[in-house]
Parts: sequence; C-alpha cells; structure tokens
Amino acid sequence: MVSALLISVGAVSGISAFLALLMVIADATIANYGEVKITINKDKELDVKGGKPLLGTLMEEGIFIPSACGGRGSCGLCKVKVTEGAGQFLPTELPWLSEEERSNNIRLSCQLKVKNDMFIEIPEELFNVKEFRSRVSGLVDLTHDIKQVSLELIDPAEIEMVPGQFVQLQTPEYELTDEPVYRAYSVSSNTSDTRRIELEIRLVPNGICTTYVHNYLKEGDEVIFNGPYGDFHLRDTDREIIFIAGGSGMAPIKSILLGMVDENNPRRARYFFGARSKRDLFLTDKMKELEQKLPNFSFIPALSNPEPDDHWEGDTGLITDVVAEHMESGNNTEAYLCGSPGMIDACIKVLTDKGVPEELIYYDKFG
Amino acid sequence: MNSATIPIALFFAAIFTNNILLANYLGMCSFLSVSREIKTSVGLGVAVIFVMASTSMLNWIVYYKILIPLELEYLRFIVFIIVIAAFVQLVEMIIERVSEVLYAALGIFLPLITVNCAILGVSLFMVIREYSFLESFIFGLGSGIGWFLAIMAMAGIRQKLKRARIPHGLEGAGITLIITGMMALAFMGFSGMLPIG
Amino acid sequence: MKQTPQMKKIQDNMRPGVLTLNGFLGTDTRDLVEILEEDAAEVRRLRTSHRAIAEKMSILRDQGMRGLGEFIDVEPHFEVRVDSVRGGIPSPFGDAGLLRKTNTTVRNRRLTREIVFTDVNIHLIGEHGFYEGRGSLFRLEPAELVEILEVETEKQQTDLPG
Repeated sequence: MVSALLISVGAVSGISAFLALLMVIADATIANYGEVKITINKDKELDVKGGKPLLGTLMEEGIFIPSACGGRGSCGLCKVKVTEGAGQFLPTELPWLSEEERSNNIRLSCQLKVKNDMFIEIPEELFNVKEFRSRVSGLVDLTHDIKQVSLELIDPAEIEMVPGQFVQLQTPEYELTDEPVYRAYSVSSNTSDTRRIELEIRLVPNGICTTYVHNYLKEGDEVIFNGPYGDFHLRDTDREIIFIAGGSGMAPIKSILLGMVDENNPRRARYFFGARSKRDLFLTDKMKELEQKLPNFSFIPALSNPEPDDHWEGDTGLITDVVAEHMESGNNTEAYLCGSPGMIDACIKVLTDKGVPEELIYYDKFG
Repeated sequence: MNSATIPIALFFAAIFTNNILLANYLGMCSFLSVSREIKTSVGLGVAVIFVMASTSMLNWIVYYKILIPLELEYLRFIVFIIVIAAFVQLVEMIIERVSEVLYAALGIFLPLITVNCAILGVSLFMVIREYSFLESFIFGLGSGIGWFLAIMAMAGIRQKLKRARIPHGLEGAGITLIITGMMALAFMGFSGMLPIG
Repeated sequence: MKQTPQMKKIQDNMRPGVLTLNGFLGTDTRDLVEILEEDAAEVRRLRTSHRAIAEKMSILRDQGMRGLGEFIDVEPHFEVRVDSVRGGIPSPFGDAGLLRKTNTTVRNRRLTREIVFTDVNIHLIGEHGFYEGRGSLFRLEPAELVEILEVETEKQQTDLPG
C-alpha cells in the first residue's frame, strides 16, 4: 500500500519535474535571444538583451520614443524606421502603417521584438529627450479646475528646452490604477531656469493623471517625467505675433512670453484668451505684469458667457469673433494657437480670412 | 476492443462518423465562442489539429512506456493534462522564436487549447480503444480535422445568422446550441458508414 | 463564455485605471462578447444600426463645434454644446489612434430631454457597437440615443434578406 502510494507520487512528481526542467531549458535557449546590437543613425551602437519590443529596449537605454498608450499598440505614435533586422510586418502593426510608410521600413516599435542585430533611424531631437526625477515644490489652484504644479529637478538636475515644448508626466500606480501611465503637458515656466519646470493641469472627469494630480499629489512627492518634446516654439522673425489660447492652453504661451521678456523682444504681440466666465480667468495679474515688461504686448481676455455677477467690462463673445474685431489685416503676422481641434480650426479660418498665410499659423498638435 | 480497422477507415471515421465535437460533444466551449468569426476559427482550428495529433502520440508513449510498466494507469487523467500543458507551452515558445507572424496568427490560441476537453478526450479514447501508436496519430489527426470542420461550418452559418431575426431569449448561446444539435443530427446520418469503436 | 484571446485583451484594456480612471465596463461582470451581443440585439430591435446611430452623433457634434464651447441651435429643434480638453485616449480595441476628449451635450427641445456623449462613444459605437458596460458613467442606452437624437429607423422589412 505504502509502496504503491510512493511509486504513484514519485511517478507524477518525476514526470512533472522532468517537464518543468524542459521548460526551464527551453526558456533559457529558445526564448533567449542573447545579446544583440542596435545601430542608431549609422552612428551610435547599443548592446542590448534581445527578446523585448524595440520601444522598451530603447527606453531602458535612455532613448525615449514618444508613446501615449504604454506600448499597447493603441496610439500609433511610436513609429521608428528600421532599415535592417526587422523581419516581417506583424498583424498588430499593419493598421497603423500606410503604404508609403511600409515601403520606407517604418515599424511600430512597441510591437516589433528585438531578435537580432538591427539598424534604425530616429530624429536627432529624440536624443535630447531624457527621463527626469523631480520633486513637487508647489501646488497652486489657478481656477476651480486648473492646478499649477511646480517641479524641482533632482536627477538630472537640469533640463534644456525651448519655450513652447511639453513633457510627459508619469502617473505612478496609485489607489485607482494598476500600472504607470504617461500624459503630456506643456511647460509654462521660463525655460531659462533649467532647474525647475511648471505645468498647468486641468482636472478632466475620468482622467487618470489629472485625478492623481488634483487629489493625490502633495508637496514633496517625487514625480517622474520625460521630455522635452514638441515643435511648438516662437519663430525668429520680425513679424507681428497673435497668440490664441484658453484654459490650460495658456501654458506654452506663457513660457514663450517669459522667454520674450528675457531677450527684450520688441515684436508686437497680442494674446487673445478665451474663457466662458470670470471664474475661468487666471493669472491676469501675471499678464498685466508682462504687459509692463514687454515693449509691445497686450493681453486681451474675452468671455463667451459672463455671469451677471462678473460685472464684466472686457470683450464678450466667441474668441473667433473677438479676434476678427481686433485684427486689422493679416499682413506680416504669425499666429500661435493652443487649444482643442475645433477651436483651432475655427481660428485658422478667421486668421486666413484676414490674410494670415496658413503656413504662418502654428499650433500645438497634441491636443 | 481492438479495432481491426484499416488506418484510412479510422481516419475518416474520426472526421465524420465519430466527430469529436458533433458525435461526442467534446470541445464545445471554445467552439461556441470562437465560431463568431471565420478568421479566428481558422486560426484556432489549425492549432487544434496540430495539438491533437501531437499530444495523442506523446500521451501514447507516456501511457504505454511509463504508466503501464509502473501500474499507474489510474493516474492517466492527471499525467495527460500535465503533458498537454507542457507541450503547448513549449510549442508556443518555439513558434514565437521561429515566426512572429505565425505566433500572432496561431500562437495566441495555444493557451486556450490547453483546457479544451477534446484534447484530453482524444488521449483517453486512445486508451479505451487500445489504439497502436500509428492509430493514435491517425485518430488524433482525424479528430482535429473533424473539429476544424465543425467550427468552420458553424462560423459560416453564424455569418448568415447575423441578418436573421432571432427570438430574444435564444440569441447568442441559445441559437448556437440549437444549430449545433441540428448539425450533430446531420452527422448522425454518417454513423452507419464506418463502424469503428 | 470563453472569449478569443483578442477579446480578452480588449476587455482588459477596458478595466478601470488602464486607459481611463473608471474604465469602460462599469459594474458589469459579463464578458465583453455578451455585452456586445445584447446591445446588438437591442439595436436590431430598434430597427436601426450602430453606424446610423454613430453618424447622427457625429453630425450633431460637427454642427455643435461651431459654438466653440457654447450652446448653438441645430436644425430642426436641437441645442448642442461641444467642449474639449487636450490630449487623447487610445481606443481599447487597439485601432484608430488617439480619440479626442470631446464632450457633446445635445438638448432636444421638442422632447425636453438631454443626453451627453463623447468622441470616444462615437467611435466605439460606430466601429464596434460598444455602448459601455452597465453601470459605467458613460454608458449610453441605444434606445435613449435613438429617441433623443431622433435617429432614422428602417421601415418594416417583410422580405427575407437576399
């Protein structure tokens, strides 16, 4: 009886152990891709461990390809040109790549696994993107739903960026989430101060990051972000400037204006700020200060739906109508817009009607 | 019951007259859910054929070379499942290594197959009917093809069903099971043709 | 009911904290395929289609965008307001890039009823027939959508489909 029991237990254990050993060996050999070399822009060489998607592998080496969905294959932002070593297109990549992209060897780096030596090409700006550890040094409520977050850099201690760019803030896993999530926010502080950045974050219902920032983040907490990203910046010309942005869209404009103060930029600039009612206005004092500091800048707030208690005496109406009223001609003018796609489309129409050439209208596309 | 059957008869019997799904009612749950779409049905069907044919051979070896000599035939349920799970895991790793595309098409179904009772059923039938090694392989291959046939037929029918007006209470699983029953009745018509176990 | 691995992955994307704070499933414990099937049946009973509903939603949203965040009149008797915030949400189905965070409020003056929906809703309904799980804050009942937005429904069908 006992011997039968021992034999049966022994046999099952033996078979299971043998199969488990087989799994371990397989994992170490078949599933192990060893060390491979990734060559970037025919110049930089990285020795990495194979087997993981290209996006994650590059991130571990300190190269941050833009991604909004955490490598799930749902946003299409992480495209990288792979000239050699990629293998066939995966079904999960195909929906994101046009015919042209496919013939140019563009791949979706979150789906493509690194299995052998690869040659890739990425834009030079991405080399400047780093991951930063920082500490919250200030939290200020600008309006009922916009919070100003000041971050003091820890490591690296300084960030090189141009006014108008944005960073990707990491929301760590907290009470309501299971994994970290990244969201993009424009920097609103003066970029000449390389040791800190300031962000304007509006609370979005059902938003993972904004709920974290508004309800959970405290002064002294550590925050991770990467950047800088973005192509939205002041062009170096003599033209007149028109800024149009409301709500948290003010952030990159404010950063650009502060940069203009530093260089005592003489260009004529007008900033049209659209909001619903008085409670959506903020930093008006700061804007008045800038009007004093800059030789030729005016801040023009417009309310589309002022409350009777506001006793509003400034411009009223839709921002597009206010801009149309104030603008004479679009000759020699550039425009910088920051807001929702609907607002941007409407403003582009007003500006082009007034004669601003479309290629001189710049807007931040991550909206 | 030592079947004195010709291999080719066994093969066709496994596909039609003793269809593992329509005559023996095994492998129903993934059949019901995956048959919604033809493309995924093909992927799952091919994976089932491969795993059924391979595991019936493997389990034959384990049964006749290990369990019987040690007089542990009663442990076959546990041991067969362990072998099937390990095999599927290994195959998944190999496919992922060899071809990323094949992995995306087939490999993702492999974990789903491990718990498919038809896979275990084939191995158990092999024991009950005392098949030889070759017969086990043919029976496994045939059963897989039969399962594949059944799921393809169902996927095709469900495409047509999309335009039909079905009574509220019968939508989804209800109508699918009724149709499966009708298919089973149709396949019963084959039963007299090839007498095997 | 078992689901294909693809469906399971999509359902995992819909859980709270993955793409949005509250996710897309609410308190619904059913599998995604069951949710989709039940809503598809409801839409068939209403004699319309997911596409038709999504199209009406898009049309009202496009008209409402002209208001730049304020209510604007839309023929024949609607008032629509569209507001958005920056950024995008990836679709849980893994398609279509980043969906804009745009909220459209539609008031039907004739029925004195109001309904709110997002761009994400429009995409999920039109492309996938997904109205969100029961108990989700953003769930839209097909019957309500058809009624308030006055979606066109098919005439009685007496012939069998071709």
